[in-house]
Amino acid sequence: VTAPAELDRPETDETTTPDRPWVTIVWNDPINLMSYVTHVLMELFGYSRSKAHALMLDVHYKGRAVVSSGTREQMEHDVARCHAKGLWATLQQD
Amino acid sequence: VRFKRRRGAVQAKLDDVEAAVLASLVGELLELLDAGGAAPEQDPLADLVGMPSGDGTRPQDPGLARLFPDAYSGDTPEAEVAAREFRRYTEADLRAGKRANAAAVRAALAPVEDSGGTVVLDREQVDAWLGCLNDLRLVLGTRLEVTEDTDLHPSGDDPRAQALHVYGWLGWLQESLLGTIDPLTRDG
Repeated sequence: VTAPAELDRPETDETTTPDRPWVTIVWNDPINLMSYVTHVLMELFGYSRSKAHALMLDVHYKGRAVVSSGTREQMEHDVARCHAKGLWATLQQD
Repeated sequence: VRFKRRRGAVQAKLDDVEAAVLASLVGELLELLDAGGAAPEQDPLADLVGMPSGDGTRPQDPGLARLFPDAYSGDTPEAEVAAREFRRYTEADLRAGKRANAAAVRAALAPVEDSGGTVVLDREQVDAWLGCLNDLRLVLGTRLEVTEDTDLHPSGDDPRAQALHVYGWLGWLQESLLGTIDPLTRDG
């Protein structure tokens, strides 16, 4: 006999408030070219050049910038897309 | 060497040394990406059904750890658990994407790597090259521990001189490739 397996994925959302959005943060690093970061933000998030450029400058001078917000699942997707392009990105609840 | 746009394609003329250096770096990157961690093609069933693979631990190699950083901010136990889960579900795909980019670059270099020549890239190949050049710079830059103030042209007796020169050259190459797809990026 067998029984339905429990979900492998831990429900770490339990203790947090569902309405607080999650955010994707891009962190400054000394390797990625400024022009490349701008290019990737335009390509991944559909931002205008000026918006992407401003976010890149925040990353560069302030050390980090929030580049998107939404559900935890959406932010995991965005972080994975950033990692695919080599940006140093993390997600956290706002 | 410099990328230029010509008749809807992007091309660059590499001399024999440039082509050989780039081909060798891409070969090393492919080896690194294959080392440790489950390669998705080795477990097609798991890949097919989107099952997690690996144990979710951070790669030991600093270069690999930079290619696959922790996804959750913070030093809390919750963030650590979540980052490990994220790895188990995403790292195989990320590795496969980076491997595909590197393989595309290697294929484009194959005809020219012995004696140099012109590589011609379509838009899809440009994206693969951009991603691969960036991965090469991330791995090399991490190993060289570069900072924003690192002198890329140190004196010849610096043991890192040659590697820093290659690192700087890769950045120049990437910048020139970026310039062919959106020339205004040079403003950034």
